This record gives sequence, C-alpha cells and structure tokens, in this order.
Amino acid sequence: MNVTSKSQIEEINRIRNHKLYKELMSQDVSLYMNDALENDLILNMGPQHPATHGVLRVVLRLDGETIINAVPELGYLHRGYEKLAENATYHEFIPHTDRLDYISPMSNNVAIALAIENALGIEAPPRAQWIRTLVAEMARISSHLMAIGSTCLDLGAMTVFLWTFIEREKLYDLFQEICGARFTTSYSRIGGVANDIPDNVINGIRKWLDEFPALLKKAEALVDRNRIFIDRMAGVGYLSKERAIALGASGPTLRGSGVPRDLRKDNPYLVYEQIDFNIITLNDGDTLARYMVRVKEMYESAKILHQILDKLPQGEVKLNQPKKVLPNKSEIYTKMEELIHDFMLINYGAAPEKGETYTAIESPKGELGFFIVSDGTGQPWKLKIHSPSATNLQTLSEMARGSMIADMVVIIGSVDPIMGEADK
Amino acid sequence: MNIKHNIESDRLTFWEKIYIPEIAKGLASTFKTMFQPKFTRSYPEEKMVPSPSFRGRPVLVQEEEGGRCVACGLCSRVCPALAIEVQPAETDKEKERFPKVFEINMLRCIFCGFCEEVCPEEAIVMSQDYELVFTSQEDAILPKEKLLVPIKNLQDRLEWLRQYR
Ligand code: SF4
Ligand code: SF4
Repeated sequence: MNVTSKSQIEEINRIRNHKLYKELMSQDVSLYMNDALENDLILNMGPQHPATHGVLRVVLRLDGETIINAVPELGYLHRGYEKLAENATYHEFIPHTDRLDYISPMSNNVAIALAIENALGIEAPPRAQWIRTLVAEMARISSHLMAIGSTCLDLGAMTVFLWTFIEREKLYDLFQEICGARFTTSYSRIGGVANDIPDNVINGIRKWLDEFPALLKKAEALVDRNRIFIDRMAGVGYLSKERAIALGASGPTLRGSGVPRDLRKDNPYLVYEQIDFNIITLNDGDTLARYMVRVKEMYESAKILHQILDKLPQGEVKLNQPKKVLPNKSEIYTKMEELIHDFMLINYGAAPEKGETYTAIESPKGELGFFIVSDGTGQPWKLKIHSPSATNLQTLSEMARGSMIADMVVIIGSVDPIMGEADK
Repeated sequence: MNIKHNIESDRLTFWEKIYIPEIAKGLASTFKTMFQPKFTRSYPEEKMVPSPSFRGRPVLVQEEEGGRCVACGLCSRVCPALAIEVQPAETDKEKERFPKVFEINMLRCIFCGFCEEVCPEEAIVMSQDYELVFTSQEDAILPKEKLLVPIKNLQDRLEWLRQYR
C-alpha cells in the first residue's frame, strides 16, 4: 500500500495507538470509569525524553505514582539496515554495522566479520583473532563505562558520568590510533582485520590498562556506598530468573538475574578458550545487580586484556585466500593475479555457498547474532540481525510493573538499550 | 509486585546511613579535583594532531606529472555511501585513462577508508584533514582540483599504509 494522503497516515497512527493501548489495558479497564479521581493516567515517556537513552517511547499506565503497566514502543530509529544489507556486498555492509550499537562499534565489526567468515567457511589467521578479541574487550569496557556513567547521571550523580567519560575518551584515542577513527571504526574485515596494530600502540594500550582499574575504583567509590544511590537502585525493577529466561534477555540483564550465560564461555569464539576469566552473575535481579554486573565485568575485561597483550602472537593479520579475502595492498600494486581478484571481489563480492548460517557473539549488551541466508551470490539474500537491545527491552514492562514513576529512568538505564541496535 | 528486598541496603553502616560524613567526603573530593590538571582541550586554539593512522578527508595523490588515478572506478563501486563520481576519459600519454570528472560528495562520505583500501594505483588516500566546514551543499561536493594534494604532504600516511596494510 502506498501511503499518500493524510487520512491514510492518520489511519495508520490510529491502528498503532490502538494496539499500544490494548496492550496497556490488558489487565482491566478502570481507565473508563467516570470518577476522575478513580481513573488511571496514561503518560507518554519519550521518544524525546533525555533519560530514555535515545528515541525510546514508553507508554505508562499510572495509578497515582505507581506504574501499573508499561509498554515500550520501538522503531523511531528504524533505518532499514536488514534491507540495506540485501543490496550491498558483504564487504560493503561492514561500515553499516558501526551504526547498529554505536556505543561499541568494534564488537559489531567483529560480529559481522565472524558471521561472514562462518558463511564463507574460512577462518582468520591467529594474530587477527587475538587482535579482534583485544578490540572487542576494549569495546566492552567503553560500552560499560557509558552504561554505568549514564545510570549514575540519571540518578543525579554527574561526577561519575564525567569521570567514566574521561576513561572512555582515552579508549577512543586508542581506537583512533589502532584504526583511524574514534567512533565509526570499520576495523574488522572478511578474513582478518584492516591493518596491523603498531607496537607503540600496543604499549599505549598497556599503559592505559595499568592505570585503568585504579581510576575505575575511584569513580565507583563515589557512589557504591552512597545511601541515596543504593536506596534508589536496590530492589527496583526486579526481574526473576525464570522471567528473564522466558523473555529472552541476554547479557548483563540476564546475568544480573543470576543466570550464568555468556557466549564467551558457553560457545567460545575467537580465542576466549585460551583465556582465563570468570562470568559475573548476581542473584538479586534488580537494577543494582545489573549495575554491579557491569562494573565487575569491566575488571574482568581488564584481566582478559592483560592476558591478550601478553600472549599476542606475531604473524599475518589477513588470510591469504585471494578468491574470498581482499589481497594485501603491496600485492595489488605489483601482481596481475591479485589485481584481478581485487576487481572481482569488489564488483561481485565474496560468495558463500547456498544456505543459512547463524553466528553470535557476546557483545557488551548481550547476544548479538547475524543470521545470513545466502543464495550463492556476493550479496546476502537475507541478513537478520539479532540485537540484544531489542530483546532486553522486552523485559521492560515486567520490571516496571509496580515500581514508582521516578524509578522508570533507572530501570531503562539498567537495561542499557541502544536504540540504533534495537530499531536497526 | 516487583519490589524485592535487596540485602545491600542493610549492609550500610550507621555512619553511611546518616549520610552527613558522605557529604563531607563528597566535598573533599570536589576540592581535591579542583587542583588536578584538566583533561579537556581548548579546541580551536589547541589543535589535535592526528597519528598517521587517522582517516580524514579522502584526497587524490598528486605527483609532478599530475594525479595517479587511472579512472578505473573501483573506489566509486566500493563506496558504501555512494559518495564518489568518476567519469573516465582517454589520453595519449603513457597512462591510458584519466578521470575527466572526479567528485567526492563530502556530505555523503562516512570516512570508512574503503576507497583507499581498494585503489589499485595508490591514487586516493585518507588525509589528516579533519576540519571540514562548508557554507552550502554545492561547496561540499569537492571537484578534482580541490581533491588533489601534493604527494609530499601525504608521506606520513603513505608510509603507514605500506607498513601496516
Ligand atoms: S571514505 Fe568511504 S564513504 Fe568516503 S569516499 Fe571513501 S569509500 Fe566513500
Ligand atoms: S582513485 Fe583509484 S580506485 Fe578510484 S578510480 Fe582512480 S585509480 Fe581507480
């Protein structure tokens, strides 16, 4: 149906709102009572609310200050990435993944590269695998810094936010040294990474890593024994273990409810098998537990980074398989064969076998998966993105029910949704 | 009801609960931080000097006898943002073709560096130039003359590319 006239748009809006309100009213219909004081109040939060971390709209049904029901509405940042992927070669889709979870672009790059490699049936050389693990863990730290900082900011603790931002800034400077961009990294490639990391940058990472835990502890100490902070976080937004699993939550949202699921351990990819680290779980299932999971995971990531820097092997960072992986630049300049492959790969793309593959990694937000259906050409027939933010947001109504309206910002912050990823 | 008791709030000591020492502690850390060096940079006066790995504005390499580009069109094919337009023309010099028109629309470019990565002639590279301001949409479409940069200004990047790519 082509939407042209104003009345059609109004009709669509009416249907959409009708659905929303129906869900909101699932329990009873006291909204329709005549006495004004007996009525429930419907409140729209977002999509332009500063505490919703982007363009999330939540429709709340309130009894006084108590939330009876909350329905999140997604889609305000929909840019159609799944459809875009069908019209681009696999290689061309890599920069688009930066813009999915824009707080941790590095781990999205790693995820799409692993997914394409899985579909193609190739594997990157060891050094590339280690470098990918390195940048993915750095991305986890930067994402969690943002998450805890903004949770504290929502509660009015601005200092924590500024201090975590300083650390994040240092990480972004390192990203710029590694790949040339702070934010839109586009670092992983099919069959490896875009470029090798120079030794002085490795030393820079090591230097930052030595200082980081102490600085994190300092920022954390501002709030972790603070009564106001704990009173507002503890016991708020409870999500039971069973419901977390049933609703399909993943990442810190799931681990905060006491489910020890982490793809890095459960389904090891990259080099996580060779690294010693713990999965952080807390049993409380409230916002404080989710916050603490993130804080503790950062220390765990720092531990992982130390091991990676110690074990980082030397060697190639790109697979030598000219039919599927872009050849090195020096070879393109000098050899005819490689030049032809360069042209073929760019024009037609690397073509996986016909079939379907699903590859997922544990991104900072949870399970980030790419489901690729290939029809044997260089462009995916369908590329489905399983984004953790979208699934984690489904737990929102469960957590919000029964809380106070002021707790809503804390609950949203504790889920840490990134709308770029949830809406794709 | 979704309120569950969390033992964490019981673990606070008496002094933490009455909160007054906490205020004093907070003020103390405010005063301490006042005398520490600032982390921010006062930007227009104090410029950021990017490392050679930095991906700034894509430019064309200019040698003595002109640009290196042979108008193969590979960069415009790979560009995910469809920012590059190349129109080839024939010459009778030793390089057979050259770009009659070469335009990069800086409003579209996302600085991914793919054009540099695929170019078979090392003709387009990412420069260190990050201060891009335009006053109109037409200004933002850079023609060949504005894209050509003498090779001696790009040595750092070319050296880095040879070593790490
Ligand atoms: S940097 Fe990327 S977006 Fe910009 S012109 Fe080159 S290929 Fe296109
Ligand atoms: S810049 Fe390079 S890739 Fe682009 S048309 Fe010229 S030679 Fe080809």
